[in-house]
Amino acid sequence: MANLTIDSVKERTFDVIVIGSGASGGWAAKEFTEKGLKTLVLERGRPVEHVKDYPTTNMFPYEFEHRNEIPRKEQEENPIANRCYAYHEDTRHFFVKDAEHPYVQEKPFDWIRGYQVGGKSLIWARQTQRWSDFDFEGPARDEFAVDWPIRYKDIAPWYSYVERFAGISGNKDGLAELPDGEFLPAFPLNAAEDHFKNALKEKFPNRYLISARCAHLSKPNQIHFDQGRVQCQNRVLCQRGCPFGGYFSSNASTLPWAQKTGNLTLRPFSVVHSIIYDEGKGKATGVKVIDTNTKEEIDFFARVVFVNASALNTNLILLNSTSNRFPQGLGNDNGLMGKYVAFHNYSATISAEYDGLKEYKTDGRNPAGGGYIPRFRNVFKQETDFLRGYAAAFSARRRESRDSKGIGEELKDNLAKTELGPWQVGSHMMGETIPKENNYVRLDKSQKDAWGVPLISVKVEYDENDRQIRKDYYEQMREMFEAAGFTNIKTRDTDRNPGLDIHEMGGVRMGHDPKTSLLNGWHQLHACKNVFVTDGACMTSTGTQNPTLTYMAFTARAADYAMNEMKKQNL
Amino acid sequence: MVLPACYRNSGKASIALQNLSISEDQENLLAELTETLIPETTTPGAKSLKLHLFVLKMVDDCYTADNQKLFMEGLAGFNDHFSKQAGSSFADASPEKRREVLKGIQDSKQKDDPVKKFYDITKSKTIQGYLNSKYVMTNIVKYELVPGRYNGYFPA
Repeated sequence: MANLTIDSVKERTFDVIVIGSGASGGWAAKEFTEKGLKTLVLERGRPVEHVKDYPTTNMFPYEFEHRNEIPRKEQEENPIANRCYAYHEDTRHFFVKDAEHPYVQEKPFDWIRGYQVGGKSLIWARQTQRWSDFDFEGPARDEFAVDWPIRYKDIAPWYSYVERFAGISGNKDGLAELPDGEFLPAFPLNAAEDHFKNALKEKFPNRYLISARCAHLSKPNQIHFDQGRVQCQNRVLCQRGCPFGGYFSSNASTLPWAQKTGNLTLRPFSVVHSIIYDEGKGKATGVKVIDTNTKEEIDFFARVVFVNASALNTNLILLNSTSNRFPQGLGNDNGLMGKYVAFHNYSATISAEYDGLKEYKTDGRNPAGGGYIPRFRNVFKQETDFLRGYAAAFSARRRESRDSKGIGEELKDNLAKTELGPWQVGSHMMGETIPKENNYVRLDKSQKDAWGVPLISVKVEYDENDRQIRKDYYEQMREMFEAAGFTNIKTRDTDRNPGLDIHEMGGVRMGHDPKTSLLNGWHQLHACKNVFVTDGACMTSTGTQNPTLTYMAFTARAADYAMNEMKKQNL
Repeated sequence: MVLPACYRNSGKASIALQNLSISEDQENLLAELTETLIPETTTPGAKSLKLHLFVLKMVDDCYTADNQKLFMEGLAGFNDHFSKQAGSSFADASPEKRREVLKGIQDSKQKDDPVKKFYDITKSKTIQGYLNSKYVMTNIVKYELVPGRYNGYFPA
């Protein structure tokens, strides 16, 4: 270590350390700094400053050397990143390249990562739905995993709290299974989407198509202007980073907010090796960091540590935080850490055509992407042979085609004209998966990364329930599509590996009982109360909702609790 | 001013390529071929938009080795094929004759024939390059970077 003087220790001591600067870490940073706590945010990747570090954000298609296609060699070198829908020439700098950060796949698992300040909040799909008690009560009712130690009423005010700041567009749809939030105006459905919505309303009780709820400023409030963000301009080039701050990201929102307080220290290029546990004190005292530029090992100290490193990396850090007291990883007395990892089943899509409503087309772009069908299977009671169910995205657009058969002037003339085809409609499934002990991550016994941290080894697979869910999705969607008069219906197994949903969850699950869970209802490790986990690792079950909004609400709630406990000198 | 054919002296392609080895003659042939597909009229054609270079760039960086090989074989065999069909070289043929022979290649059912493959790749990349060129995107089929609106009931 460089310098062991008292001053140096003092300089490396904070009230709170937050590991990770993505959506949840950014929220932790905002909450603590706003309340006057000196907060160190550790980010393993490089700095990305809002607007300044969005190199492609204002580029026209013709300015990309390969017109946004990833060159062959790069595709072959990065098969995992390349399978991600958002990985293109304009966004590739925000994705981890396969070779840079290897991991072990005991079964094929596509781990999509964004190692930079802001993490994956720069490149997320921005879909934001609340959980309901039909989700929180799922494990207890259907007897899988363990009971969530919290219910909707615990988190509802915190959903409101983060929604108001982040800016979430949506309609008040009045659905018990998908509670309403503090919404900015929704992006409306288009003609064909409304047609499908009405067909469901007429013929399928309890099935609804709603405007997708998303983290876009459809009509910003003062709180958003105060962040330096303005109205979403419907570019739908979001994953490049948005110069308007039109969608929520740590970079556009929480991190600059935290920075303004003067209480934030943001340290990029800082890989966390482990959390330091003091046996005498019976708590964590800090974090061991490796500076990726100098390879220097540096300890930082704080009263409270928030682990928001992204679901699997949070598992990795905790499993690697061993001591005499915790030989299997910090807080891992029951040996369950890393187990019960789950994800969202995105393995099915369906498409069709609609011949009606030809008097309409769309103009401009919809950042919400279209519509959302909340889970309708097994919501109010168990009604199928499989457990749980799926939500579905649904969107429609009219394809414009060009006649390219000609040669010469004929071709040139035809390329200037577009022909409007019928409405193309499509949906993809977002299935809940059941966390299981044999879907796990663990530390590889021998291989280490460039910083001496063990590689994470992932074994996560689909199961029979997932296959039945897929079958049901096809059957039900086909029936609904037919009822809406759609034709040329095609289902497609996407055969995607788990992980590509980018909704990996669990491993450090919440629960009532320290014997069967790792975290309590306040996201504290049962066995080490000043360490909190509020990212995807804490998830006891997966729900069908896009999870980021829930992580943000969890983080704000846990930070508030932590600050109260600090005031009471309990932490 | 008309530049002499060998104005580059090197005899090599005018852009750096990693995988393809293209001679100046081949580059000129490709330029003529793309110009035949999308000729200069009152608006720019393929050559002035440098679409032949875009074709080369894309084939060089984004195609599999197998397709690159077929492309190169087809490019090498193109003139022979053309002369046999047309009775003259591509360079000497009239625009009508060029279009007629190209139409024949386009309609051919021999999908794996190198000349056909070369032609198909060239045409598809020429069209992509054209539609995604600055000229077209700012003058003909305008691209909006910042739409600022969405209407799901726009009159078709």
